[in-house]
Amino acid sequence: MKKQNKIQSREVMKYSSSFVMIVLGLIFNFFEIGKNEFVGFSSVGSWLIYIGFLSIIIITIRVFRTKNKVVDERMIFIANKSMRLTFLALIVFAFGIMILDGIKTIVVPYHLFMAYLICGLMLVYFISYKILLRFY
Amino acid sequence: MKTKITFYRNKLGITQEDLGNLVGVTRQTIISLEQGKYNPSLELASKITKALKRKYIEEVFKL
Repeated sequence: MKKQNKIQSREVMKYSSSFVMIVLGLIFNFFEIGKNEFVGFSSVGSWLIYIGFLSIIIITIRVFRTKNKVVDERMIFIANKSMRLTFLALIVFAFGIMILDGIKTIVVPYHLFMAYLICGLMLVYFISYKILLRFY
Repeated sequence: MKTKITFYRNKLGITQEDLGNLVGVTRQTIISLEQGKYNPSLELASKITKALKRKYIEEVFKL
């Protein structure tokens, strides 16, 4: 019961923060704050509204889908272990990229490079988590 | 770590799923514990001992 109340209060917190984002977005747009300040970025208000709505949708989906999900200490232990592995992979990647860049200059745009790197790290985390589940 | 979870669980006639629900972990975690692959925390070990109606943790878990 206590745990259920804790979960409910967490959901309320998430919903209220999303509503705050939407309201802030409306206020920003109304007073034209943060408009045309960034290239390729419509306005701060519009993005706040967009993220607010997106988070409401995600929270609602999670509320309905993950009711009986159990996260036990073994899962947390494995998640921590795979996070450490991912960090190690990041260091190895960085080292490899430095050497590669020294041999031949990397011409991939910065945003694309970062996107690839993040996706790669997520993949490493996911795969290492799935593999470690079999060992512990 | 050697455990006697399977022995006491069978004695009580409860499944891995039931034991998992009693102590708040998944069935896979109970399997790992029974196979000695995963070392539980003191909290989980004490919960399992209580669920298996034993008095001391040493009765269920052995180093």
